[in-house]
Amino acid sequence: MDLRTRLRSRVARRPRVFHVAVPGGTEARLGVEAELRLRGWPVSGTPADADLLIVCGTPRPHDAEWLDRLEAGMPQPAARVVVQGPARAAQALDTGAAALLTRPARAHSHEEARGGGHDGGHADHMDHDMHDMHGMGEVAGLPMAERADDRDQLRLDRLHLPLGPGLADWPAGLVLHLALQGDVVQTVEIGQLPVPEAGSPYWNEPWLRAAQGEEIGRGVAARRRCAAHLDSVGRFLAVVGWEDAAARCRRLRDEMLSGASRESIGGRLRATMRRVERSRTLRWGTAGLGGLSARRARSAGVTGPASEAGGDAYDRLRVWLREVERGLDELDDAELLGSGHVLVGPRGRLDGERPPSRALLDVLPELLTGAEFACARIILASLDPDLDELAFAPTAGAAHG
Amino acid sequence: MLDDVIFWALALLAVAAGVMVFRFDSMARATYALLTSLLCVGGEVLLLGLDYLGVVIVLMMTIEMAIMAVFMVMYMMNPAGLMPMTMVHNKKGAAVICAAVFAVLAAGILLAPWPSRRGRASADPTRDLGRSLMGPQMLTMMTLGVALFATIVVTVVLATRRGRYDRFGDDLKARTADDPVRGGVGR
Amino acid sequence: MADAAPLWATAVLPVALILAAVCAAGFDAVLSAAAERGRAGTVREMGVRAAAPLREGLRLLAQQPRRTTAADTLLIRLGVALVPLAAVLAGAVLPWGFRSVSDPSVGVVWFNAMEALSWAAVWLAGWGPNSALSLIGGYRFLAQGLAYELPHMFAITTAALGAESLRVGEVVAAQDGLWFVVWMPAAFVVYLLSALAMAFWGPLGHPLSRDAAGGAAAELTGVDRLVLLGGRWLLLVVTAGFSVPLFLGGGHGPLLPGWAWTLLKTAAVLALLVVGRRLLPVLRMERYMESAWLVLVPLTLLQALFVAVVVLNR
Repeated sequence: MDLRTRLRSRVARRPRVFHVAVPGGTEARLGVEAELRLRGWPVSGTPADADLLIVCGTPRPHDAEWLDRLEAGMPQPAARVVVQGPARAAQALDTGAAALLTRPARAHSHEEARGGGHDGGHADHMDHDMHDMHGMGEVAGLPMAERADDRDQLRLDRLHLPLGPGLADWPAGLVLHLALQGDVVQTVEIGQLPVPEAGSPYWNEPWLRAAQGEEIGRGVAARRRCAAHLDSVGRFLAVVGWEDAAARCRRLRDEMLSGASRESIGGRLRATMRRVERSRTLRWGTAGLGGLSARRARSAGVTGPASEAGGDAYDRLRVWLREVERGLDELDDAELLGSGHVLVGPRGRLDGERPPSRALLDVLPELLTGAEFACARIILASLDPDLDELAFAPTAGAAHG
Repeated sequence: MLDDVIFWALALLAVAAGVMVFRFDSMARATYALLTSLLCVGGEVLLLGLDYLGVVIVLMMTIEMAIMAVFMVMYMMNPAGLMPMTMVHNKKGAAVICAAVFAVLAAGILLAPWPSRRGRASADPTRDLGRSLMGPQMLTMMTLGVALFATIVVTVVLATRRGRYDRFGDDLKARTADDPVRGGVGR
Repeated sequence: MADAAPLWATAVLPVALILAAVCAAGFDAVLSAAAERGRAGTVREMGVRAAAPLREGLRLLAQQPRRTTAADTLLIRLGVALVPLAAVLAGAVLPWGFRSVSDPSVGVVWFNAMEALSWAAVWLAGWGPNSALSLIGGYRFLAQGLAYELPHMFAITTAALGAESLRVGEVVAAQDGLWFVVWMPAAFVVYLLSALAMAFWGPLGHPLSRDAAGGAAAELTGVDRLVLLGGRWLLLVVTAGFSVPLFLGGGHGPLLPGWAWTLLKTAAVLALLVVGRRLLPVLRMERYMESAWLVLVPLTLLQALFVAVVVLNR
């Protein structure tokens, strides 16, 4: 066995993973993240740094294109596995590791040099309807920047950058078409991958099932809400660049979902929430980003924490933190969600005309326009729309536009 | 002997990199070729025993070229120089000017009556250089420094479209400035 | 005054720096694993976690590098290689005890010049792969550059002013008795902060931050990635290590020999940075920029003024 093979077999024992969720894959993603933590496999923020691509959820034919591009963005040897549900995470991870071992090393780089344009970094592989882009020249199959006035009316280069869906800490299925001038977002167009109609969105499940007449305890619903907010907080902190606190939130989220009792989790949860809330640096860094007044939120139909916060990204974070702590007290509540109970999921009212995340997406362009790239990511994370909701219009029954 | 070798190596590299500035068809490469050339010049100055000047040339030129790259990104957001572009404009005119300047400088070097060394080289040439520049002409240097700095500030002020009336309102009474991006000290 | 070290020290220096970087990265890995998965139960588990950077290095070595379309490979290579190179060159003036590989009369400026090379390097590495996120990571460093460099330069200058010399050995010698940190606390704090910026790591790590999918490193694979990320740890070790001769008395200290004191102090500063990094999110760039210009620059200037007055009256 030569050195490279030996190294490779070592790597296969603990490969570095890049995982993305397709719409409807939230539960699978949570299963995968919990399993990865159990095994201690490192998680990467970019395909270029990963050995194993894990697709969470059930990809459909149109997903093949962007998933293939992501895989092409990985260095050899690389493998891809699909995890359709949380129960299959462990098995799929084993399959992936085994595939890494058996996969013959391809002469990847040479092939690419010949093929040309089969992957162009993120600018290319995140895009999927590049062709309707506005009159840009192409060189080597890649879009070129063009000139446009900036906010100081200087004529500078403007770059069209599609963001998502294959990005770490990113809402599954969302695609943002940004026009960037330097760091400043000039225009935003929101796109999305089609969302499967079947099944109810994971984070709203308890309330929707209760609405259909099932007996759901309030504790169960509170648990789901806490976990949803912890997931959002984790993503927000990861985007802000506080890995430590993000990791803690995600661990608490998984414990919460696996049914940890209030006693076992309460102390640590409170401590973590306190620590995030007390961080002056975090406040200094995120206050004033993406202000959405309560009035504007109401008129746009936003109902959940974003409306309650009625302020900037930091205020929205604080609402999440507060709701998590409040939910902690309800964990053991055995009372049922009554049928007369208002249907309020983690992101807002579920009995309105439109799913709450639709309203969040609608306010997104006005919040992002004029923001800098890093701020735009923070603002998006502070709204954290869940695209799974979009296919599912529960009580009103109306399909989204 | 070793010094000669280093001198010639740096000199040739500096000239070669300088030529490459005009040969490369990518702005990034041209910028870094220029940087290479200037770093070699810094090396030559170090070789002369002017440690401080040499290191400062390295420091300043690196920062300068890096700042130039910021402007490059503003005007050209295509990474890796996707669009090949020529670094030479007005070829004939430029060639004539370059040749003329080169001829004049070379003639100057060859024709100038260079003084021969009197006494011994000083132990700390940097200090001597500083003294002869700053000693008798301290006032001139300071005035010049302040004037240069004022020019920079005034240029920036004149170039910005937004003045304080845009930022603080017509009566300048707004508590916080109306800036597109908020800064870090609560403004 | 520091003596010049023997020639073999030149060969030892990179090895020593790499060792220190691996230790620091291992410590960091242990802390981040504790946040992710809870405390290590056994000593063995702790060891496995601490070895994560080594495993990562081997993993990257076994990878076949991948190239993006229309990438400028030459520029990537140059940028990536320049990072560790700048770190080692800057490390040449680091005194171990009272000896350094080289102790030029302008050592302090030399150190700063080498740090500045890392700006240019990160930008190259970000520009080269022809990918938008990688470009964003690259220019973030440049756009912030002056806000980092000016307070940094003033902080370093203050220490040199206190010793009335740009020679690192003389800066150390001037601290026999009273460490500079005692009467230049502001300069010390600003130095540490901007040292993080120069090593683009931790709270000032936006060039490689997660919101741009790894920024300048977003498209780097295999050896390229190893060299850049490893180089970043080297830079961190060197910049943290340089605070010891500048402000913490270098090798001065009771009982132990000079090299042991240098080692101890460097380890303490590194531990402080690595632990402190856990408590802070990445500082928002444009806010740091304004604070740097409006707070840190005047602060360091006042500190320098104070030191200058003290030195003149000595």
